[in-house]
Amino acid sequence: MIKIKKSEFNKFIENLQKNYSVFAPVTDGKATAFKKIKSSDDINNKVLNTKRSPKEIFFPQSEVLFQYTEKGMEVPKREEKPFAIWGMRNCDTKSLLLLDKVFGEAHQMPKKDMYKDPYWKEKYDNCLVFNLACNEPLSTCFCNWFDGGPFDKTGSDIFVVETDDSFIFEAVSDKGKKFLTDCKTTENESDKEIKKIEKLKETAESFLAEKEDISSLFSKTKEIWDEPIWDEIAAKCVNCGACTFVCPTCHCFDVSDEGKGNKGKRIRLWDSCMFAIFTKEASGHNPRSQSTQRVRQRVMHKYNYFMDNYDEHLCTGCGRCVVVCPTNLDIREVIKKILNYKNEE
Amino acid sequence: MIQNLRTEVKKLLKDKKVDIVLGWEKGSLPLSSSPLFIHKEEDVDRLIFDETCRNNLTTYLTKDKRKLGKTYDKIGIVVKGCDARSIVLYVVEQQIKRENVIIIGVPCNGVLEKKKILQKTENKEILESKIDGNNIHLKGRDFDLKFPLKDVLCDSCLTCRYPDAPVHNIFIGKPRKEVDIKDEFKNVIDFEKKSSEERWEYTKDEYARCIRCYACRNVCPACYCNECFVDQNDPQWIGKTPEVTDSIIFHLIRNLHVAGRCVDCGACVSACPVDLDLRIMNKKVEKEVKERFDYTAGLDIDEKPAMVSYCENEKQDFIMG
Ligand code: SF4
Ligand code: SF4
Ligand code: SF4
Ligand code: SF4
Ligand code: SF4
Repeated sequence: MIKIKKSEFNKFIENLQKNYSVFAPVTDGKATAFKKIKSSDDINNKVLNTKRSPKEIFFPQSEVLFQYTEKGMEVPKREEKPFAIWGMRNCDTKSLLLLDKVFGEAHQMPKKDMYKDPYWKEKYDNCLVFNLACNEPLSTCFCNWFDGGPFDKTGSDIFVVETDDSFIFEAVSDKGKKFLTDCKTTENESDKEIKKIEKLKETAESFLAEKEDISSLFSKTKEIWDEPIWDEIAAKCVNCGACTFVCPTCHCFDVSDEGKGNKGKRIRLWDSCMFAIFTKEASGHNPRSQSTQRVRQRVMHKYNYFMDNYDEHLCTGCGRCVVVCPTNLDIREVIKKILNYKNEE
Repeated sequence: MIQNLRTEVKKLLKDKKVDIVLGWEKGSLPLSSSPLFIHKEEDVDRLIFDETCRNNLTTYLTKDKRKLGKTYDKIGIVVKGCDARSIVLYVVEQQIKRENVIIIGVPCNGVLEKKKILQKTENKEILESKIDGNNIHLKGRDFDLKFPLKDVLCDSCLTCRYPDAPVHNIFIGKPRKEVDIKDEFKNVIDFEKKSSEERWEYTKDEYARCIRCYACRNVCPACYCNECFVDQNDPQWIGKTPEVTDSIIFHLIRNLHVAGRCVDCGACVSACPVDLDLRIMNKKVEKEVKERFDYTAGLDIDEKPAMVSYCENEKQDFIMG
């Protein structure tokens, strides 16, 4: 455990920038997002859930896969320094683990390593994740449903707690340990600090709403696939992509070619199961032409299909989708509805 | 008011005058509401109407394959002034038949803009809220704020001329006719005074935030195309990236598509997750249509819409020749 006084925070970030490209929550116009910072002055440590999730650091909304001319093709050059992400919350660090199952591990593929995504791996594998504990969870936070929590450390390299006057660092992964050992400012563990952290944790947890037991969610979703409940759930959804675009775990993408004359590029773009053209086929046929089918896809992907493939829910309970939905289609209510649903027979 | 509304709605359902009624119910977040689809009399008690009833529900009449307007023969719909005007738009554009909708007008004093509230509370959690008369009282863990309601009403509401459904079957209470508003286009006029560099700087920064989620389009009553131009990929009309140039093209084309049709309900503004200033262009186009064709969308079922009528003495300086 090491401690850095708030007055030394600027210096700490400056040092970090020597070896890393540092990303942190910033206020970007009227919204908040994780961006590469110039100096520590850009950092907003107050914001709990940035409007745009940090998944875009590793999996940007649009990413050029390669460019081509008549002479050949090339993959755009990446950043040289590895990434350090300051100020991620537990619901976001956990989302990276989930996304890594898709892009990084690809364990289900026929041949090991076959479809590992180089664009993701290059950024994610060497990055250093600082998880900042949430001292004041929001009423939309429900990470506790998924066994996360404001002081949970899963998915981080270094766990950080902000106290009244300092930041207290604790190594979680080997990468994190190495980083902290290399920092010269090591300090001994003090009972006083541990007590402070315990107190903050207790207060934070008291802000969270009651935990819902979702252990039967997977089996329940399996039972109801063709039940009329989906019409009821989906009725008010207008199929914008807001929920999926702010979600830290949604990862569907589309590939688009943009070319002119003898030059062009292939771009990977976020897609959304909410969009009408999501699964429209070249023939014009669309197996999910109805809004209800697409809402079901979103919910099933999160709480059933992903579980089937990777033994985890594709949701960390960050609550972003709850906040942005223009029709107040609250995913927590959807989950409760599913859990309480009684089949007609 | 709310009791009268519920009684009327119950009556409509009981007498089988409607198959479904669209209204609002209390939402899951502080100061929020959510669309409510009422099929049965016993659900009527969930119906509310107050400053939180932000959504323009008419969008459900035409949206997606669901198209409630085509699914049901008779639809009851609770509307504010702007919402009622979008029904007029549908009738004029032959998307629904006037006799198929029972328009239930409610007296509107403006609806809340969540983003303005969050600015006031500095994004802090609201634990208690109370609207009393023209004031709003908000309490959180470490704040206790009281301020005039109009500080947090939608911009559209602040310059709304027709708060009470200009066209309706039933009105709860007594509808006001037009409200006298003088600075309806103030935001546009102020903006027009800026230099083109300033305007570009502002516009560029705004649209740079767009994440192309299309919430603005999807909540918009005027955007009901079966296939939007942004969804077409053969040919692909516009770039799909969130780069500012691509986003601007999306927005400009959408602006033109809703020209003379936008009713300034503000639904797009409220829906945008990244808080873009979409209203400035909406109002600019509305002002142009007003000045060139003396047309305001959604007021008169018998008047031909601006974009399909032609008049010899119209200004035609936009036609290049
Ligand atoms: S959901 Fe949990 S981890 Fe995420 S911001 Fe809220 S309290 Fe923190
Ligand atoms: S589904 Fe909603 S709550 Fe779950 S991770 Fe995505 S945005 Fe967060
Ligand atoms: S944000 Fe809400 S309305 Fe939009 S697609 Fe998601 S659930 Fe549907
Ligand atoms: S463009 Fe915006 S303000 Fe105009 S009708 Fe559509 S949603 Fe309403
Ligand atoms: S709602 Fe906002 S972010 Fe989404 S497409 Fe419209 S302007 Fe862009």
